[in-house]
Amino acid sequence: MKRTTKGVLCSLLAATLLAGCGGNNGGNTGNTDSAAGNNTVSAEAKSVTLKMFIAQPRFKEHYDKYIADFVAKEKADKNIDVSVQLEMPTADNASQILKTRLASNDAPDIFAIHAVNEIPSYYKAGYLEDLSSQPFAGKLLDSVRPSVTTTDGKIVALPLETLSWGYLYNKKIFTDLGLTSPTTLTEMKAVVEKLKASNITPFVLSYKESWIPQLVLPLAVGGMVKTKDADFVDKMNKDEGSFTDMKSAIFDVFDLINANGTTKATEVGGDDGAAAFAAGKGAMWLQGPWYAETILKSNPDLDFGVAPLPINDDPSATLINLSASTSLAVSPTSKNKEVALDFMNYVLDDQASNAFFQALKFNPVATIHTYESYPWIDDAMVYVKEGKSVQDPAIPQSVKDEVGKGLQAYYAGQMSQDDVLKALDKAWKSYNKVNK
Amino acid sequence: MPVTSYKKYFSLLAFVAPAFIFYTLFLLIPTIGGMFYSFTDWNGLNRDYSFIGLGNFIEALREDPDFVNSLLFTLKYVLFMVVLQNVFALVLAVFIESKVRTKGFFRTIFFMPNMISTIISAFMWTFVFSQVLPQIAEKTAFTFLDQLWIGDPQVSFYSIIIVSLWNGVGYMMIIYLAALQGVPQSLKEAAVIDGATPFQTFRSVTMPMITHAITICFFLTLNGAFKVFEVVYGLTGGGPGRSTQVITMNIYEEAFSNNFRYGYASAKSVILFVIILIFTFIQISVMKRKEVEA
Repeated sequence: MKRTTKGVLCSLLAATLLAGCGGNNGGNTGNTDSAAGNNTVSAEAKSVTLKMFIAQPRFKEHYDKYIADFVAKEKADKNIDVSVQLEMPTADNASQILKTRLASNDAPDIFAIHAVNEIPSYYKAGYLEDLSSQPFAGKLLDSVRPSVTTTDGKIVALPLETLSWGYLYNKKIFTDLGLTSPTTLTEMKAVVEKLKASNITPFVLSYKESWIPQLVLPLAVGGMVKTKDADFVDKMNKDEGSFTDMKSAIFDVFDLINANGTTKATEVGGDDGAAAFAAGKGAMWLQGPWYAETILKSNPDLDFGVAPLPINDDPSATLINLSASTSLAVSPTSKNKEVALDFMNYVLDDQASNAFFQALKFNPVATIHTYESYPWIDDAMVYVKEGKSVQDPAIPQSVKDEVGKGLQAYYAGQMSQDDVLKALDKAWKSYNKVNK
Repeated sequence: MPVTSYKKYFSLLAFVAPAFIFYTLFLLIPTIGGMFYSFTDWNGLNRDYSFIGLGNFIEALREDPDFVNSLLFTLKYVLFMVVLQNVFALVLAVFIESKVRTKGFFRTIFFMPNMISTIISAFMWTFVFSQVLPQIAEKTAFTFLDQLWIGDPQVSFYSIIIVSLWNGVGYMMIIYLAALQGVPQSLKEAAVIDGATPFQTFRSVTMPMITHAITICFFLTLNGAFKVFEVVYGLTGGGPGRSTQVITMNIYEEAFSNNFRYGYASAKSVILFVIILIFTFIQISVMKRKEVEA
C-alpha cells in the first residue's frame, strides 16, 4: 500500500518537475524573444558590467545582497542589465593590488580606499572622481563630511566606516568606585590614584604593534588644534612648525599612562590587549571602539564606554576624535560612470541604506540613518553633540608610522622625548619634500 | 661543422627555454625594472616620475640613519648566523652520522623545523617567548625565563637568532650529511691505521673532503641571512621602535608604509643586492681555492 502511494507521489513529483522545466524553458525563450524584440525596437536594455573593489571580505554576504537589490532596482528603473564583478581581497594587500590596477590603467569602476590616509595622494594622482554634485553628498552628516572632502573642497568619496574614539574604559569598575570619566589631566591623575588605591591597574598597555602607541598623537594634536594651535597642521605642511610645540600635550598624558599601566607592554599586541581589557586587568585602554567585537568575543558581558582623553588641564581640549576609514570612490576613467554613480547614490538610498548600514554594524554617516547603534557609539555621540569633538587632524601616514615607532622606543627607554619629536619633524619634512 | 653546433645549441635552448622564460618573465624583468626605478622618484601611484640620477643612493647612505642602522644590525645578524648555523649544522651532522641505528630518526627530528614555514615558526615562538616561558618561570624556579624575550631590544636579537637557527640548521645539516657520506671509507681507515685520533681524522681527512659542502652552506647562509625578513617581522616587527629592524624590513617600510617612495626603496634594494654580490663573490672565490678532490 505504502509503496504504491510512494510510487504515485514520486511520479507525480517528477511529472510536475518536468512540467515546470518545460514551463521555464518556454518562459525563458519567451523572455529572450521579447528582449530581442525590445532591442530591435528601441535598443533600451543595455547590459553593463560594473567592477567593484572593496577590501572587506568579512562582509561579503551583506554586499552581495545589497548589490543584488541594486541590480534589480537598476533594471526596474532604467532597464539596464547590470552585472557586478565584486572583488574582495584581504585588507592587508588590498591597497597594493588597487595601486597596481590604477597604475596600469585597469581601474575598477568603484573602489574602497581609506579616507584619511589615502584620499590626498589618490586625489592628487587624479584617480578620484569629483562627487560633490551627487545627491548622496547632501545627506552626509556634518561630522562626517570633512573627512572625505579634499583640501580644495570637493567631496570625492562616500564614507562607509566612520570612527569616533578617545579611549575605552571599563564602566563597571568606574561605577563601582564612583568614578566619572575625567575632563582634565589633574582629574585623570585623581582617577588613577583612586584606581590604584583599590588595587586596580589603571591602564592596559599594548605597545607591540606600533600603531597603538601612535594613537596618542591624533588625540593630542586634535586637542591642541581645537584650542591653542589652530594652524599647526598648516604650519607643518609649510615646514614652519615643529612638534616641540606639542611636547607637553603628547608626553604629559603618555607618561601618566605608561607609569600606571600593565607590564610587558612591548610584548602585548592589540588582540592580547583586548583580552586583558575584557578580563578587567586594567580599567582603561588607549584604543578605539573598533576593538569592540574582539573585546566582546572574549567577554560578552563587559560594559565599556568611550570617552575623550584629557591632554592638559583645559577641559575644552579633551575631545573625541572623528574620522573615517573605508570609503567608496569612483574612478574618473570608468566607462560606466552613470551606473557607478547610481550605485553610490543607492548606498545612501533613503529606504535601503538604513538596514544595510545597520547590518554591517557601521556608525551612522548620513541624516537618513536612524537605526539604533551600540552603547559605545552613543557614548561618543553624546560628546560629539556637545561639540566636544574634533576632526582627525590631517597628519601624514608616514608621520603616524614614525610616531608609533618613536613612542615604542621611548617606552623601551631608547629614545628621549626630544629625539622622538625631532624624528617626527624630520618625517613630516621628508613627507613635504616627497609630496611637493 | 656549423650544422651540428647549431643543433647542439638548439637542443640546449629547448631544454633551458621553459625555465628561462619564466625566470626572465618573473625575475629578470622585474629586477631590471627595479634597478631602473631606483634612479627615479616614482611613488608607486603616479603615472609620471622624473629621473634624479644617483640622488636616492646618496640619500640612503648619507642622510638616512635608519637605513644605516638597519644595515649594521643586519651585518651583526649575518655574522652570528653564518658562524652559528654552520657550526651547529656540522656538529649535528657528525653526531647523526655516527649513530648507525637511529640515524633516520634524528635526521627527521632535526629537519622537521625546516618544513614549517618561517613566518609560522616565528609566530609559534612569539607565543613561546611571551606566554610559555613566563608560565614555566612561574611554576618552576627558573626565574631567569621570566623576562622580555622579544620586547627588550638587548634580548630580542638573541631571540631572533634562536628562532632562525631552530628553523635553518636542519637544511644545512642535510647538506653536510650528504657530504659526510661521500667521504671515502678507505681514507678514514687509512688514517685510523696510521694512528690518528678521531679528532685528527675529522680535521685532516673529513674536513678537507667536505669543503665543497662548506662552500655551499656558507653561500646559502650568507645569502639567506642578508635577506632575512619573516623571522624578524613575525617576532618583533622590527621593534620596539626600530631597534631590531633589518635591512629588508627598512626597504619594505620605505616602499609600502611610509611615503610610498618606490624609487627610493628600489635604490635601497639595489644597494642590498650589491652588498650581497660582493660578499658572496669574495666568499666563493676564497673557499673555492681550498677545495680538494678525493
